[in-house]
Amino acid sequence: MATHPRLRAESVALARGGTPILDGIDLDLHAASLTAVVGPSGAGKSTLLRCCNRLDDVDRGRVLLDGTDVRDLAPTGLRRRVGMVFQTPTLFPGTIRDNLTYAAPTAPDRVLRDGLDRAHLSPGLLDRPVEGLSGGEAQRVTIARALVAGPQVLLLDEPTAALDQDATAAIERLLRGLVDDHGLAVVLVTHDLAQTRRIADVAVLLVDGRVRHHGPPTDIGGVWAEAVR
Amino acid sequence: MTAVVVGLALVGVAAAVSVRWHLGIGRQLGTAAVRAVVQLLLVALVIGAIFEHTGAAGLFVLAMLLVAAWTASRRMAAVPYGLAVGLVSIGGAAAVTLTALFLADAFPFTPRYVIPTAGIVIGGAMSCVSLVGIRLADDLVDKRSDIEARLSLGASVRQALGPWSKRAVVSSLVPAMDQTKNVGLVSLPGAFVGMLLGGASPMEAAQVQLSVLLALLGTEALAAVLAVAGIVRLVTLPGERLRSLV
Repeated sequence: MATHPRLRAESVALARGGTPILDGIDLDLHAASLTAVVGPSGAGKSTLLRCCNRLDDVDRGRVLLDGTDVRDLAPTGLRRRVGMVFQTPTLFPGTIRDNLTYAAPTAPDRVLRDGLDRAHLSPGLLDRPVEGLSGGEAQRVTIARALVAGPQVLLLDEPTAALDQDATAAIERLLRGLVDDHGLAVVLVTHDLAQTRRIADVAVLLVDGRVRHHGPPTDIGGVWAEAVR
Repeated sequence: MTAVVVGLALVGVAAAVSVRWHLGIGRQLGTAAVRAVVQLLLVALVIGAIFEHTGAAGLFVLAMLLVAAWTASRRMAAVPYGLAVGLVSIGGAAAVTLTALFLADAFPFTPRYVIPTAGIVIGGAMSCVSLVGIRLADDLVDKRSDIEARLSLGASVRQALGPWSKRAVVSSLVPAMDQTKNVGLVSLPGAFVGMLLGGASPMEAAQVQLSVLLALLGTEALAAVLAVAGIVRLVTLPGERLRSLV
């Protein structure tokens, strides 16, 4: 594991309408590591992800990417370095190629095919229309789309919540591959404790906008039960 | 007077349709009809005096612009500073068109010509900006996940909103394009009919109507683009973030 964190949250706080959503989050996320962020609904998990690529801005504290405050980086460049995949796969009209080139307009075919390969999709699908893709395939296309932009960090907000068991297993395998073979820092928001134990290197439990646990995923079940009791 | 009563009776038909089909617009139909009667009667009372005073005519045009901007802003109530969007887009587009028409000597620069022409141009721009506001404000809420997916891939807010900005402009211009395409076949617009009734020759009436109609198309396109640009600017937060409209 790298010594310096790829992404660091320092005393991050954010409120909406006077209600604290994040309340002093300190967190280090490392390259070549898969961090699962778990917690009950409304704990601030998705908001924490959104602060990492500035879809939301923090009220207090700061988020650092390789030691630089994300607010000091050009937002469009930041979001290529810190990619994000959402729960519902949103594909743009057209072909898979159209979707990938939205993220990397000048990328040669080699890069686009590599993106599909890393997302465990056949490179031969490049010119297939997005209509008719299954939920699992569509989600893998959104991951490939984020990958062709060349991110160092990949944020995923419950990417398997709407998928069946086989599609979920396929996504889990590809996420492990991105960490183990390509050295990405992957951050996965999930409600699924079994999934956390299966694939995460580190588990972070958020409750009421605070980190209640940060450690091995094997401990997470007992800690969660205790934290929310 | 009988004609007005017949008109009001037909509004009653529209209200009956609203009740029968539970459209929930009966009150709005009634308000629109009553406002039209009151406003037009008031204008009929004072327009003669306004035609004689340039200053009063200027104030009248300004009032038209304010009411048009306010009306359009109500169609995009969730957008902050919607009134400013209305003022800049309607006022800017109308100013360009009116200046071009009067520089081209299309009409004498007198209140008698300025007021009706400004009314046509401002009214057209208002309808167009209202349609832009309705469409784009809805899409900013309904398509938020798609827009944020684009932002997350490194698009600016302006780029991420591109597909919906274009759609808002195009759909807002459909009525004006249809009116222009079908003029003479389906509709005989107000300026043409008015001039004919006033004793002008059909060719004179057609010439004036054409200048207004074609200018109106340009005005509406300009107003739509200005409105979209204004809305996009107002929903863009620092850091290429999207303002929440909910």
